[in-house]
Amino acid sequence: MATNPMEQFAIKPLVENPLFQIGGHDIYFTNQSLLMVIVALASALFLTFAVKPGRLVPTRSQSMAEISYEFVANIIHSAAGNEGLKFFPFVFTLFIFVLCSNFFGMFPGSFTVTSQIAVTLALASMVILVVIVTGFLKHGIRFLTLFVPKAPIYILPLLMLIEFISFCTRPISLSVRLFANMLAGHTMLAVFAGFVVSLGAAGGILSVLSIGPMLLIVAIMLLELLVAFLQAYVFAILTCIYLNEALHLHDHH
Amino acid sequence: MTAPDPDRLNDLGRRVDEAKKRQAAGAKRPPPTQMGIAGRFATELVASVVVGGGLGWGIDWLFGHFGFPTRPVFMIVFFMLGSAAGIRNVMRTATEINTEIAAGAAKTDEEK
Repeated sequence: MATNPMEQFAIKPLVENPLFQIGGHDIYFTNQSLLMVIVALASALFLTFAVKPGRLVPTRSQSMAEISYEFVANIIHSAAGNEGLKFFPFVFTLFIFVLCSNFFGMFPGSFTVTSQIAVTLALASMVILVVIVTGFLKHGIRFLTLFVPKAPIYILPLLMLIEFISFCTRPISLSVRLFANMLAGHTMLAVFAGFVVSLGAAGGILSVLSIGPMLLIVAIMLLELLVAFLQAYVFAILTCIYLNEALHLHDHH
Repeated sequence: MTAPDPDRLNDLGRRVDEAKKRQAAGAKRPPPTQMGIAGRFATELVASVVVGGGLGWGIDWLFGHFGFPTRPVFMIVFFMLGSAAGIRNVMRTATEINTEIAAGAAKTDEEK
C-alpha cells in the first residue's frame, strides 16, 4: 500500500455545491475552511470561558489563558515598547490563530491550515498592510525615509532600491517560513509512516524492522510540537519587529 | 480566620518584588534552535532573490505593454539587486540573532 505523502495537503470541498461566486469563481466550503472555523471557534470559546470566572487563584484553564496573554504582552513589550501594546489584540489574535492551527494540525487525520501558502500569505499580507498603514498614519510621508539608510549620497539611489526590495521581501519570507516548516514536518511524518507500512507488509525479518521508523515518528512528532509553537512565536515576534520599525522610524539603527 | 503572620507577609512581598524585577528584565524567550536559524537565513536569501526577479519581470512586462521591449534588462538588474537585498537581510537577521543570543547569555549569567 503506497500512499502519497502530499495527499494530506489536498483541499477537498466538503459540500458538493459552491456556496457562492466571486468574480466567476466558485467558492466551496472545503476541509480547510472547516478547520479554520474550528480553530477560530475553539480558541475564541476557550479563551472566553477560561477567563470568565475571574478567580484570584486561577484554575488550570484560566492560568493557561493568562500565561498566553502575558507571553504575548511580553513579546510585544520587548520588541516594540509601550507603544506597541496598542497592537496587542492584533498580535495576540495572530499568535493564537497560528498556534492553534499548528496544534490542531497535529491530530492524526486532521488538516494543517498553516501548511497552505494561501493562508500564510494572507496572514503575512495583513501584517504588512497594518505596518504600512500605521507607518503612514504616524509619520505621514516621512515614513518613506524607512528606505533611506545613512550612506554617502552617491550610492543612496542604489541602496534605496535595495532597501525597497528588502521591504517587499517581508511578506514572502514571513509566510514562506511558516508554510515551509509545517509542510516539511508533516511530509516527513507521512514519509516515515509510509516506511512503517511497506516494511510491515514486506514480511519476515523486515516486518520486525518496521519498529525503527515507528520510533522515529514518535521523536519527529515531539519535534513537530516544538516547531508548531516556535513558528507561531517567530510569526508573532517578527510582526512586532516590523511594527516597531513603523512606530519608531530609525530608532534602532 | 487567624491573623496573618507578618514574617510570611514580608516574605511574600519580597518574592513579589523579585518576580516584578525579573519580569522587567525582559520576556522569557525560547532560545533559537540551529534549524530555526538556518531556516531563517535560507528563506530571507531566497525570498529576496525571488522578489527582486519578480519585480524586474513585472517592470519589463509593464514596459512591454506600453511598447518598449526592455525584456530582459530590468529582470536581470532587479535579480542582482534582489541578491544584494538578500545579503542585506541575512546580515540584519544575523545581528538580530546575535543580540538575542547575547541577551540570553547575559540573563543566564545573572541567574548564576
